Amino acid sequence: MDILQLIQANLLTPIILFFLFGIIAARIKSDLKIPDAISEFLPIYLLAAIGLHGGIEMRNTGFENMLVPMFVAIGLSLLFTLNHYQILRRLGKFNLFDSYALASTYGAVGAVHFSVGLSFLKNQGVSSEGYIAAILAVLEPLAFILAIFMTNMAVSKQIREKKKSFGDTDSNDIDVGLNQTKTKLSKVLHESITGKAIVILLGSIVIGYIIGEDGFEPIKIVFDEMFTGAIVIFMIEMGIIAGQRLGDIKKVGIFLTAFAVLIPTFNGVIGVLVSTAIGLSLGGAVMFGLLLASASFIAAPAVLRQAIPQAKPSLYITSALGITFPYNIIVTLPLLFALSSILHSGETIDLFNFLTGGLV
Amino acid sequence: MKLYDVKLLTITCEILAQENILEILKKHEITGYTKYEVDGNGARGLRGQGFKNEKNIKIEVIIREEKLQDVVEEISRTQFANFAIVLYVSDVGVLRPEKF
Repeated sequence: MDILQLIQANLLTPIILFFLFGIIAARIKSDLKIPDAISEFLPIYLLAAIGLHGGIEMRNTGFENMLVPMFVAIGLSLLFTLNHYQILRRLGKFNLFDSYALASTYGAVGAVHFSVGLSFLKNQGVSSEGYIAAILAVLEPLAFILAIFMTNMAVSKQIREKKKSFGDTDSNDIDVGLNQTKTKLSKVLHESITGKAIVILLGSIVIGYIIGEDGFEPIKIVFDEMFTGAIVIFMIEMGIIAGQRLGDIKKVGIFLTAFAVLIPTFNGVIGVLVSTAIGLSLGGAVMFGLLLASASFIAAPAVLRQAIPQAKPSLYITSALGITFPYNIIVTLPLLFALSSILHSGETIDLFNFLTGGLV
Repeated sequence: MKLYDVKLLTITCEILAQENILEILKKHEITGYTKYEVDGNGARGLRGQGFKNEKNIKIEVIIREEKLQDVVEEISRTQFANFAIVLYVSDVGVLRPEKF
């Protein structure tokens, strides 16, 4: 299928149209707003639906085959986070804190991305492996933990060097610094694992696994048929928040804007290629790629403001929500779908020609 | 009616700084406070729109003058650089000073 056609078709789905509508509503300074309680409820609902769906699928397929994709996803996510850091720090000349905060925002995964992806696949009549919901849960805190660890190591190294230059060899302060790092990390780890996102997601996976298709039947209307409708309502809210931040994009700068578009594309394509190579289905490879392409904008500020408060939130929230999220759901998602379709159709293709040929 | 002089410390800050503030209060053995969610405008632009994480919070603490200095010093040293935060102190009178 032609990529442009697919992007065009995707553009005219209710999810994208309501998102764009939300942006317009915010730009004309309408007082349109989704009530607080509902916009807090919707992510919980979406995660519950994702978890149930994943749990039921896992019952059909079993756990054993999820281990390889899980470890590959963990490896790629950590690798990408370090890669982002190098790009941001060396080419983008961002300071240490902003670099790590941004690197982990883009290394982390987005549940909203994931919901949109599932609904996109449903629309295309393609299913995906249920265990990808479990990968979502595992990847959620991972990139942040790495970034926080690296930031604290870098800071204590700086302190150590400063101490050395003063000729002070007292090691007590360094130990204090290391201990602080440890407590900070264990706090973040604890808060992520007991945080509402992971708890509802894992809980729903387990419940989905227990109840199976039969048990799901009575609640299907809420958690399956209403899923896309609920995303649409959430998209209005996302559009409004993104629209309010549109003015801030100027502050983000050209480098980060390019980063916010190129990196998700690159990560997503790698994700689809790797996951196809390890045997995921057409839909599974799209979701896997989308997970790696996604950037976190709901969990990121909560974690990073606590753990790396020196980083500017306006940078990582604006680029993730204002640039990457719209780009991903409008362009990356159909792109990954087209790529995965071709890879799974059994033809051997020249990827470079395919990408350029599709875009020209 | 006899009123006793104590201080009212009011801290308006972004919601993600509240945990740090409460920890500092706890460290100085201050267990009583009142907090509420607020919104407003300031140096960091309109606050309180959008995500819950971006709301502001206002914390009020009644405190004896002896402790005030340390608490304010610690908050300003550790929080001012990284968070949106405004802090002020006012004189208030209470009926039961032993509570604070």
